[in-house]
Amino acid sequence: MALLDVKDLKTYFSTGDGVVKAVDGVSFSIEKGQTLGIVGESGSGKSVTCLTIMGLNPKKYTMSMGEAVFNGEDLLAASPTRLREIRGNDIAMIFQDPMTSLNPVHTIGTQLVEAVTLHKDVSKQEARSRALELLKEVGIPRAERRIDDYPHQFSGGMRQRVMIAMALINNPELLIADEPTTALDVTTQAQILSLIERLQQDYNSAVIMITHDLGVIAEIADDIVVMYAAEVAEKGPVDRIFKRPHHPYTWGLMGSLPRLNTDVGRLAQIQGQPPSLLRPPSGCRFHPRCPYVMDVCRTKDPELLPVSDDRTHLQSCHLDEETKEREAARLLGTFATEAAAT
Amino acid sequence: MTSAQAEPISGLDVRGDELLVVEDLKKHFPVTRGIIFQKQIAAVQAVDGVSFSLREGETLGVVGESGCGKSTMARCIMKLLEPTSGRITFRGRDITRLSRAEMRPYRREMMMIFQDPYASLNPRKRVGFIVAEALQVHKMGTQAETKRRVQELLEVVGLNPEHYNRFPHEFSGGQRQRIGIARALAVNPKLIVCDEPVSALDVSVQAQILNLLKDLQRDFNLTYVFIAHDLNVVRYISDRVLVMYLGQIVESAARTDLYDEPKHPYTGALLSAVPVPDPEVGRARKRIVLEGDVPSPINPPSACRFHTRCPRFVEGHCDVDPPDLVHRGGSGPDHAVRCHYPLERWPMTVEEMRRAGAAGGTAAA
Repeated sequence: MALLDVKDLKTYFSTGDGVVKAVDGVSFSIEKGQTLGIVGESGSGKSVTCLTIMGLNPKKYTMSMGEAVFNGEDLLAASPTRLREIRGNDIAMIFQDPMTSLNPVHTIGTQLVEAVTLHKDVSKQEARSRALELLKEVGIPRAERRIDDYPHQFSGGMRQRVMIAMALINNPELLIADEPTTALDVTTQAQILSLIERLQQDYNSAVIMITHDLGVIAEIADDIVVMYAAEVAEKGPVDRIFKRPHHPYTWGLMGSLPRLNTDVGRLAQIQGQPPSLLRPPSGCRFHPRCPYVMDVCRTKDPELLPVSDDRTHLQSCHLDEETKEREAARLLGTFATEAAAT
Repeated sequence: MTSAQAEPISGLDVRGDELLVVEDLKKHFPVTRGIIFQKQIAAVQAVDGVSFSLREGETLGVVGESGCGKSTMARCIMKLLEPTSGRITFRGRDITRLSRAEMRPYRREMMMIFQDPYASLNPRKRVGFIVAEALQVHKMGTQAETKRRVQELLEVVGLNPEHYNRFPHEFSGGQRQRIGIARALAVNPKLIVCDEPVSALDVSVQAQILNLLKDLQRDFNLTYVFIAHDLNVVRYISDRVLVMYLGQIVESAARTDLYDEPKHPYTGALLSAVPVPDPEVGRARKRIVLEGDVPSPINPPSACRFHTRCPRFVEGHCDVDPPDLVHRGGSGPDHAVRCHYPLERWPMTVEEMRRAGAAGGTAAA
């Protein structure tokens, strides 16, 4: 049985202008020790998906439907008290912005100790020694002294390490990382990614990594979910998605990426802007920006269906499979020839 | 784009094709103690001896971690900050010590595009006003001409000219960055300094903006100084690249030379840290993970500033004898590196770097 099984998750926010369908029928599952990457542009619903699983959306004006079964328990049906027990203990979250997610008026030590004593019946001393252990593990130099420092005394990368220490302090089974390295430099990003990988191996935790960086996903994920306008455009094993992507949106994302090892004459860009979720386009939500648009795309919403030769690879696009294979091969071929040319 | 073509500035002595020459530029911010009797106790050496030149129509990429002085350098070039020492020559004229009034004719030759498309547009002004402001400041054209020009500019950057009367909040991030670009283009500048123009944008929108910047460069013969921390983006847009570390240039080379044959261990570490969007290559590759953070620019490490984090550090040499930025092998003649033990080949793992460093150390001893 999967550790977390999300089925047909929907999150609607009612606003003054109407109902925003921020997540509209998203399903995925993740096993122990696995890493799932969720990619998509801002506003595609990747963060809201995870906030819904964690029960962190504001109660007022929010409607959540579907189920998120974690260890046999539906998190959407769980009481707030039960959710508080699970959060920070069984499921932990690392937020995007390390500058604002720590409390500036308490020391790092106090905040870490609080994370332990909330969930475990231990003394302050024991909690403190556990905090110290974690700080050392995430590579904070002179942890004995730094534990009594305030967040402003740490650099961005160091604060993100503290956030990771706090998330891992109770050995969670599932770690949700919401763009953990977006605000950081590449060198620091490399440090943080190595750290998350090592800790994942040590504790056999599952990781959900939300990011818009396809490079990060390619390195760290086992499975990928590509989200577009609150829906899943494509999902499957990482090698499959990168080698034979089947959705024009995934092609666009890959084409618009400048690459380190190739000189590209001109980036293939996706035209236009992401749609408003107040009034999403009819039919396939990607059709106004899709270069392969057909008449059926404007009227009929494509279902998320498995690719014929691999049941784990699902995609939602009306194009026939032959065209998709051909276009994917052509697109990836241009990268390869450009690489060979340099 | 003919309605407000910039006339050549009188009294300018334009020679050669070098648009901008920066020599030994330094910017130190004083750190003071005391409230009434302020006494300088130290200086943040944000930019410390940067030199480069830039030809017309060229794009110079500048990369480095946060705090390496790339934005301070950009602000000094734009004369938004007064340099501590050094010389900036723009179109053959020394502009380092010009007063505000003397600087004004040059302002319309050099414009800037900022990082944050949300914070760099005044939320209370309409788009038409934001784009037209520079035209009004420089008294270029009548009211009707200005309006026509603004609409022309909006079209050039891919916005609907009818959106002239909208406010910035009605636009998405990518569209706002387009407004920022239209504003920079308004007075027909020669040089545009782009300070992380795409860092805040999604990949698909980022590609649109990068393509737009390339098209504009081709159409209007623009010269860019392009600052970014994303090495992929810099490779895509630049002709030459400077790598900065703690206020100094550590490596400078033509784009392909730098990416194919980096010489400085820091450049190597930066390149190896960039995630590759290909699962097979990505997994096989070894990252060179640098230890620790960038040291404080108030009290930078002695001699080679990178020696505290360098895998090739040789005690008694790197921390005593500061290296110069010179040509040390490599393909291009203007490939310069500030290192005693430049990399012999690329790619390299950390272990190989260490071993070579140790061998170099014994050889030197």
